[in-house]
Amino acid sequence: MQNPRKPASRLSQTQAAWILLAPFLFTYGLFLIYPFFRGFWISLHDWNLLAVAFNPDAKQFVGLRNYERVMWGRNIEWGPLAAPFWQLLGIAGLAVSVLLRGTKRLSRFNAIALGVASVLVIILPGFHPGEEGRWYDRRFWPTVANTIVFVGLAVPGVTISALLLAAALNRETRAMGALRTLFFLSQVLSVTVVTLIWQIMFSPRQGLIANITETFGGTPINWLTDEQFAMAAIVIATIWWSLGIAMILFLAGLQDISKDIYEAAALDNAKGARAFWYVTLPNLKRTVTLVVVLQIILHFQVFGQSHLMTQGGPNDTTQVLVRYIYQTGFRDSELGRASAMAVFLFVIMGTFSVIQFIVGREKT
Amino acid sequence: MRNVLLTAACAATLATGAFAQEITLGRFFGACEDAGTDTTTSTGEACIIQSIINAADAELDGISINTLPTDWGNYYDQIKAAYAGGTPPDVHVMHRHRIPEFAGLGALAEISGDLEAAGIDPDDWSPAALEAVTYNGGIYGVPMDFHANLWHVNMEIMAEAGLVEDGKPVLPSSPEELLAHAQQVKEATGKDYLAADFAQFPIGVRVVLALIWQQGANIFTEDGTATINTEAGRNAVTAITQLFDAGLADPQLNYADSQQAFLNGEAAILVNGTWVVDFYTAEAAKEEVGLDDYYVADFPTLFDTGATWADSHMWAIPSTLDGEKKAAALKVLAFINDHNIDWARTGHMAVRKSVVESDAYRSLPHRDEYTGTAAIAKDTPPSQRYGAIQDVLNRELQAIWLTGKPVEDALDDAELEVQDLLDR
Amino acid sequence: MNRSYYWLVLGLSIPAFLWLVPTLWMVSLSFQPNEVLARTTSSTLFGLIPIPFTAENYAALFTFGQTPWWFLNSLIVSVGMTLGVLAVSTTAGYALARLNFRGKVPITIICLVGLMVPEQAVFIPLYTMFADFGWHNSYHALILPRMAVPIGVFLMMQFFRGIPRDIEEAARLDGVGWLRIFWYVMLPLARPAMMTLAILTFLYAWNDYLWPLVSAQQREYFTITLGLASIQSNFAQSEGLGRVMASGVIASLPVVILFLIFQRYVVQAMTAGGSKG
Repeated sequence: MQNPRKPASRLSQTQAAWILLAPFLFTYGLFLIYPFFRGFWISLHDWNLLAVAFNPDAKQFVGLRNYERVMWGRNIEWGPLAAPFWQLLGIAGLAVSVLLRGTKRLSRFNAIALGVASVLVIILPGFHPGEEGRWYDRRFWPTVANTIVFVGLAVPGVTISALLLAAALNRETRAMGALRTLFFLSQVLSVTVVTLIWQIMFSPRQGLIANITETFGGTPINWLTDEQFAMAAIVIATIWWSLGIAMILFLAGLQDISKDIYEAAALDNAKGARAFWYVTLPNLKRTVTLVVVLQIILHFQVFGQSHLMTQGGPNDTTQVLVRYIYQTGFRDSELGRASAMAVFLFVIMGTFSVIQFIVGREKT
Repeated sequence: MRNVLLTAACAATLATGAFAQEITLGRFFGACEDAGTDTTTSTGEACIIQSIINAADAELDGISINTLPTDWGNYYDQIKAAYAGGTPPDVHVMHRHRIPEFAGLGALAEISGDLEAAGIDPDDWSPAALEAVTYNGGIYGVPMDFHANLWHVNMEIMAEAGLVEDGKPVLPSSPEELLAHAQQVKEATGKDYLAADFAQFPIGVRVVLALIWQQGANIFTEDGTATINTEAGRNAVTAITQLFDAGLADPQLNYADSQQAFLNGEAAILVNGTWVVDFYTAEAAKEEVGLDDYYVADFPTLFDTGATWADSHMWAIPSTLDGEKKAAALKVLAFINDHNIDWARTGHMAVRKSVVESDAYRSLPHRDEYTGTAAIAKDTPPSQRYGAIQDVLNRELQAIWLTGKPVEDALDDAELEVQDLLDR
Repeated sequence: MNRSYYWLVLGLSIPAFLWLVPTLWMVSLSFQPNEVLARTTSSTLFGLIPIPFTAENYAALFTFGQTPWWFLNSLIVSVGMTLGVLAVSTTAGYALARLNFRGKVPITIICLVGLMVPEQAVFIPLYTMFADFGWHNSYHALILPRMAVPIGVFLMMQFFRGIPRDIEEAARLDGVGWLRIFWYVMLPLARPAMMTLAILTFLYAWNDYLWPLVSAQQREYFTITLGLASIQSNFAQSEGLGRVMASGVIASLPVVILFLIFQRYVVQAMTAGGSKG
């Protein structure tokens, strides 16, 4: 290391800052911002992948038609009870947010967030094709729903199991260290190894699960081709695969909680599960938020598991958004349509991250 | 690290001769890394094609071939991405049904004027083969085979059920008979009559398509009108679903599982393509494999006229290729064309008249058992959206047999969606 | 250590074993002959023990296989991406966390907004852009698009914010320039956070599937993720389950070993990095 006591650099703070920022701004602008706007621009065109490659003029400006073709339909109506389950759930959510806010149990921001989400749950599922009407793209909304179901299962699955494991493993002993390693290990496998393993694991005739079921006289489940189990199967594989980082992040959070708090709690007779509930959880709030945000962002972009394990099947029950974008773009060559869906993906994820981000930052 | 690689790559280039034209070759069929260069003994699609490629690499002077690894599921997506990115392989395999899409956009080279110079005689191709590679009057590839759906038969099970006559399996000639045979097999052996991949890869679609064609109908017309929810469509679907409903076949098996079921001797019939004939022959010869007495049959006619799903593999070169590179690529095509007999060993039907008439071809195992297939081979009308249409059918048919969606609804939805695709 | 501790270890070893089973099974299958696997995968103890045993699958892989080559590509891409992300994120993270300049707030906001742009939402424009440049099928095509990850900047920014100001101020009083402070004072302090970021990035790069799938069509640039995907589709089964599993093991072994060697450091780094976050 050189002697740092040299005459002051002539660079001003501003100049230094821009020099340090330059590489980031360059890559960020070129590989994220520019493509993002370009994607939006493509989405306004009828743009065939191959045709445009051979003749750059083969694209045609169509305005918002791609969005209409993807998300809308003919004779779409809105009914207050078109999807009773979701809409009632939304009404319940709205009531809860008003109630909790009224009794000051919920901060203002959280109440608004919950309220907005509830209103969306009331409004969005209410759209349905009327008589003689139909969606222009019958696969799009079910695909979005599948993606949400996947996220809705995988994120809590990973978060809860990682949290429990982290709490149990939060001791500096050799055995615990070994167990931690073991649970983290599957995280380093590449997605294709994971799907390779689990495809065979789930196979009704070669699979380990089937072999065991058969030994005990059961009939093997066709995990990947049965519509009731296919989504569960890819969620299981996903949890197995991506639990490691969440667990490590929780462990990090746990080590920040000072021992004194536990000792104080122990005096109040809070030990074991009670200590976990009353001491650990509240102190881990920020880490939980971080983990949940990371997981939502990660799992919303799920592609490999669906693409390789089930090919989106059976009957599209595991078709997810990114796979649909990929198919529309590269199988059907319709880059314009695919880009419109990509913009939609961005809007959804953006909304999620804004909500989560602010919820996470808010002091309670 | 990169320098090391570059050096290694350079060294490799020097070792194979500095003036060698490197031809990149794209193909599916799966990987066979130890294929060798003996084209006459390899078995299975992957190994036979790779041995032909390896032989071309070794025997053609001044040409080295680099086989690109691509998997089945993403093959066309990747080829498209490669074309759009300006880096298509110099030679690649494709299906006849994709010609409208690729040639229509000007991606493929029209090679009718180059064939003779390259030593390929298009007059030796059967008329159907020539037609397969022809688009708008031009020739866009070198055909390699016809492949079609066959019925692969386990004669032991059939015999047990009393469905063998004169050493040949007795196959149904109507949907009612199909059900009766299936029941017969179940009663006599407790085994399933029919297995196929109804759950993932579109073999089930191809079965239904064949049954639709057998009634003189089709799923869409040449002028682009979808005709799926028709009497023919419903008849075709119910001919299959009656087996599932009666518990005589399992719709949830995928490709690997259905094949495994057949090889284990758990199903009397497997519907699959010509590409597995040599593989199943080899398996049946093994002691430990459940299937012992293997027979291949033409897809039976359950309705009025014979029909079975069929397609062609062909080799094409991109339109952007020229000069020495194009000449080298054509030499590779010629080499593959010369080895048509080796490729036919897979079970595929040869495209060259001289091969079809040869004794070597006629004496291939089981070849005499499915001679009728060539005459009944059929496919949907040409469309730029072939892949997407197959996918719609696959999803809606899966919805019927895997999730119990009413036939009428599924066919209705399929018709709407296919119409959308045709209109786009 | 009391009795409840041993019960805990015992109780945890059951899920731990279940966790390990899929991997064990893959390893075990890779050591069994393909002919046997074609008939049954549960020869001995549900197939978890490789009897009958063969090493042929591995021999074949090393004789003919492309797996080592794919592996090398993955390594180049992942290391390249990791270094790139580190360079870009530490510099920008420091500038945004500690330096005052006009435009800081908007840039910080733009960076945070970027957190919401999922990579998968921009892969199509990126694809056409790289096609226009003629960049596909190269290492830089595989590495560059993933360098612009705002999450890295965000993590580093959070970390630098947590470092006490007085360290920096002492150096300032000595007349040390900002770039030197960054290089000689802040970077060494940031090592744990950088380690965390490096690991996250490396794992991400190693697992990336969609982008290589659309960008790399030539064998020279296949990553292990792509290569393995290409041999596991239905039709590849002619090669045999054992061979495919052996490829999976070969593909995973180096990262697993790497992780086992560095694991203590990895966990410590993550712990340290995470707590400041």
